[in-house]
Amino acid sequence: MIEEKFLEISQVYKAYGTGDSRQEVLRGMDFSVAKGEFCVLLGPSGSGKSTLLNIIGGIDSADEGYISINGDKLRDMDEKALTRYRRKHLGYVFQLYNLIPNLTVKENIEVGAYLSDQPLELDELLKTLGLYEHRHKLPNQLSGGQQQRTSIGRAIVKNPDILLCDEPTGALDYNTSKEILKLIEDVNQKYGNTIIMVTHNEAIQHMADHTIKLRDGQVRKNTVNENKISAVDLDW
Amino acid sequence: MKSPLGKRQLRMLKRDWKKYAVLFLLLVMTIGFVAGMFVANDSMETAAIEAYDKYNIEHGHFELKDKATDTLISCFEKEDIQIYEQFYKDFEEDSDGDGKKDAKIRVFQMRGQVNLACLMEGVFPEKKDEIAIDRMHADNAGIRVGDRISLSGHSVKVTGLVASSDYSTLYENASDLMFDAITFDIGFMTEEGYQAISGKQVYQYAYQFDQAPADEEEQKAWSDDLVEQLAILSATGGYTDDKDEAEELEEHIEEWTDYLEEIKEKADRAEELKEELEQEQKELEQKASDRQYVMQLLTGAGYDLTQIMTMSEEQIAGIVQEVLMTDEMQEKLRELTGIGEDLEKEEDRIKETTDRLEALEPYEDDINEITDFVPEYANQAIHFAPNDMGSDKAMGEVLLIMLVVILAFIFAVTVNNTIIKDSAVIGTLRASGYTRGEMLRHYIALPVIVTLLAAVVGNILGYSVFKDVVVAMYYNSYSLPSYVTLWNMDAFVKTTVIPVVLVVVINVLVVSGKLRIAPLRFLRHDLSTSRRKKAVRLPAFPFMTRLRLRIFFQSLGDYVVLFVGICFVSLLLSFAIGLPSTLEHYADGFGDMLLSKYQYVLKDYKDEDDRIITTNTKGAETYSVTSLKTIDGIHVGEEITVYGCIDGTDYFPISEGLTEANRKIVADEDSTDTDRKAAKDTDSADTDRKTVNTVPIPVAVSTAYAEKFHLSQGDSITLKETYESTTYEFYVEEIVDYEAALAVFMPMTVFNETFDMEADAFAGYISNEKITDIDEDYIVQEITQDDFMKIVNQLNHSMGGYMDYFAVICVGMAALLIYLLTKLIIEKNAVSISMVKVLGYTNGEINSIYIVLTSIVTVLSALVSLLISVAGIQAMWESVMAELNGWFAIYMGRNDFVEIFVLIMVAYIIVAFFDVRRIRKVPLTEALKNVE
Repeated sequence: MIEEKFLEISQVYKAYGTGDSRQEVLRGMDFSVAKGEFCVLLGPSGSGKSTLLNIIGGIDSADEGYISINGDKLRDMDEKALTRYRRKHLGYVFQLYNLIPNLTVKENIEVGAYLSDQPLELDELLKTLGLYEHRHKLPNQLSGGQQQRTSIGRAIVKNPDILLCDEPTGALDYNTSKEILKLIEDVNQKYGNTIIMVTHNEAIQHMADHTIKLRDGQVRKNTVNENKISAVDLDW
Repeated sequence: MKSPLGKRQLRMLKRDWKKYAVLFLLLVMTIGFVAGMFVANDSMETAAIEAYDKYNIEHGHFELKDKATDTLISCFEKEDIQIYEQFYKDFEEDSDGDGKKDAKIRVFQMRGQVNLACLMEGVFPEKKDEIAIDRMHADNAGIRVGDRISLSGHSVKVTGLVASSDYSTLYENASDLMFDAITFDIGFMTEEGYQAISGKQVYQYAYQFDQAPADEEEQKAWSDDLVEQLAILSATGGYTDDKDEAEELEEHIEEWTDYLEEIKEKADRAEELKEELEQEQKELEQKASDRQYVMQLLTGAGYDLTQIMTMSEEQIAGIVQEVLMTDEMQEKLRELTGIGEDLEKEEDRIKETTDRLEALEPYEDDINEITDFVPEYANQAIHFAPNDMGSDKAMGEVLLIMLVVILAFIFAVTVNNTIIKDSAVIGTLRASGYTRGEMLRHYIALPVIVTLLAAVVGNILGYSVFKDVVVAMYYNSYSLPSYVTLWNMDAFVKTTVIPVVLVVVINVLVVSGKLRIAPLRFLRHDLSTSRRKKAVRLPAFPFMTRLRLRIFFQSLGDYVVLFVGICFVSLLLSFAIGLPSTLEHYADGFGDMLLSKYQYVLKDYKDEDDRIITTNTKGAETYSVTSLKTIDGIHVGEEITVYGCIDGTDYFPISEGLTEANRKIVADEDSTDTDRKAAKDTDSADTDRKTVNTVPIPVAVSTAYAEKFHLSQGDSITLKETYESTTYEFYVEEIVDYEAALAVFMPMTVFNETFDMEADAFAGYISNEKITDIDEDYIVQEITQDDFMKIVNQLNHSMGGYMDYFAVICVGMAALLIYLLTKLIIEKNAVSISMVKVLGYTNGEINSIYIVLTSIVTVLSALVSLLISVAGIQAMWESVMAELNGWFAIYMGRNDFVEIFVLIMVAYIIVAFFDVRRIRKVPLTEALKNVE
């Protein structure tokens, strides 16, 4: 059982805008995630999921409170240190894949591999992702699911400590979504990465170790799932 | 591990190959041409420098009125110089055998010691009817080896074409405004051939210092001393080279001559008295021989006969003389005795004085007069070509840098657009841990690679193709010796390293600014660098206008680069159109610009019989003229023509005000009893310099002089004698419209007083009709309109022919620049264009938004660029003319501006055609892609 605090989110506040247009997005967000845990951030639009994910990813900053990874607080890091942190510890998966259009599947994954001193073996990963046959194709020759697989491959090839997934199935159909979720589950099990996934699909919480339900920038429910199921068994 | 992003570069290049091809082409052409220019210029400059040793170029030359005696030459050579005869004769050259003069040819004997000629084709002459002529002139006149040409009616065969090191630029005279390779030629004949053709010989001597001066400054200092020494030696027949000694000698000679004159007068008087007394003595003796008369005289004097009988003959003679000698005779005798005593006393001084004058007699045969002196550093015929190459290089370098900067900005704009397109990818990569430096290197790699490749290809073309183009251009203007192509490090640095560095620096500055944006904002496609969050409020314009304005503001950076690009092209076009236009302007209007159709310079204003030389030619009037040199300002050493003109002149453009201002000064002097010509030491560092006048002389200056030296009314100017340290101070009373020369005008009376001339003296006649009633022997020079037209013709020949091609290249460059920038603007707006298509806008309506907007910007940019380019071209022209003698302003008329504008528009219309097609090709699906 995963128990130690790996990722700690402590009293995090975040607001955008000033004066009348000021909008508080995060209002004292507070929870922690253990190493190797599959954590789902669940909530409706505007609940602060993506903002929190961005702050965890070091591409946005908290106004108050802190986030620490293995005891290292992000707020104490300068830009270079944050870049090093992302380079060493993080992998990102986005809803819209953000693949480089004029690089092949394999090359797009190499983009991630380049950042690591000990990247995963590429061909094996391609096989794991089910992309080996498509490795020489450009993104525009792939389906949405294949593109997202590539995007996941790019994120995990450097074997990051934390994999941040922002609505990874948001742009995919049901079956493809399940395939991607299964892939993420497999990755989590195979490589032991801590996974933080933002979604508004409530069904996904059933495959997670830990679910944080957010609303209006606050944690409404923090649940550890004792009876998680496999992604293949999900239904929505 | 090598960054996998590198694999994108080739694909990005492939995707945008048209854009990069255009940029590559522009860079290759520019770098190639400039590299060619650098290589050609430096190779030819090296050849020119080596020519100093190889062809033993003089350190200067001078001309004497008569052939120098051996003694005088020896005296000259004591000034640590070696003298070489370089006599020449000028002839009329008839190259086409029609019996008419086609050019003036200056014929020298073949040279064996200094200023050797480089044989470019054929062989040197061996027989007396053979000649080798200048290669450049031969090309212009269509003369080939083997042709026969006529030298003032004397037929000779051209055996060779040469480039003479002291005439690499065919300046007939060192002070000429422009060289003339069309109607001026030089030739070399054997000694026998040279002697066989009769003509007026000019006694020119080349000199070389025994020890070569270390640099130009030393050469200038030595030359300044030398010209004075040679002038003094010539004037004193080699007696001295010291100015003070020469002046002292002149005073002594006058004193001694006066003394001996006085002695001579005394001696003459003594002789006269002696003769008279002798005559009178004879008469007395005759009377004494008459016995009867003597007896009467003696008895009359009281002697009796006895006494008389006892007297000796001598006694009788003495008494007779005593009785007969008159008071007058006695007075004469006394005077004669006095003179005799005086002469006896002065005997030593007379001998001494006579000896001194006799000692000077040998020098009389050696007295001569220096009529021209041209040190090597000031000899345009030697220096103009290398200097021109240097200034061309500087201009090429500036143009290259300007173009590279513009292209670098285009690269940066292109990269910026790619960054905008790749926004989400960059956000992802940055979020994944890619550093800003890695992103920066990735995005500027392609521009740098393209620039580097263009530099390499450009340099290869520069060494092979463009070098020959540049060399051909120079060989079309100058008579340069053969050269060897040399590897040029400077060219490599300036055409490879600097462009690459510029591209890197500009792209780093522009792109790193963009990449400074936080990864999150990349992910959100929020790449605005402006802090402004709210949209600019626009007035209540029609919708389409507001839409265009929005697009304009959104693409402001692109439009700014477009404006700069158009300014650059406009500047080049100003040169391409302005130069021919200026030449045409001067060619058409030179007749009106000149003071008169004819100017005659006389040897002296009086003839052999001391009568003033006159003419009955209608409208002819006398004038005075001399040349002075500038000592400060934009061009030190520039020759200024100073004219003196009669009151009420019909030719010189001075006003009554100038005459009045001079009269006032004279009146003031009279009333205060001062003398404006009282010399004063100039309180400058140059202690040798003496200013002649204490009160600045009010003068009129020509517009050409005022424009070149930025003179305004009320300014003071100081000018210096050409071969002396005497200076004159003038005051600009008025600036008069005269573009043909750098000139100063003043009333003749003031001129004559200032330059210490007789009150009635003048230099010659000025007239609109040819003067035929003055003996040609009295005329030194006849200046006609053709002489002034030489500059126009030569410039037209050297550069005019290239300008049409240059204009075409400019239009091409304008088209490419506009193409690149409008392409960028359309690509940047591709999603918007697609979106409005989806909404139902027709291609015509979309064109009316984008094409009309770009058209308006282009038109406005072209109009504004005209003003900027005119200022730019004038500044460039001024810097070019500062290096040359003389001045003419760049002239651009309304039609030229219209032409430049039209050419830019032509370029734009061609581009607009492609833009319309490009907008039509933007797919509807573009709007639906990459949108979250």
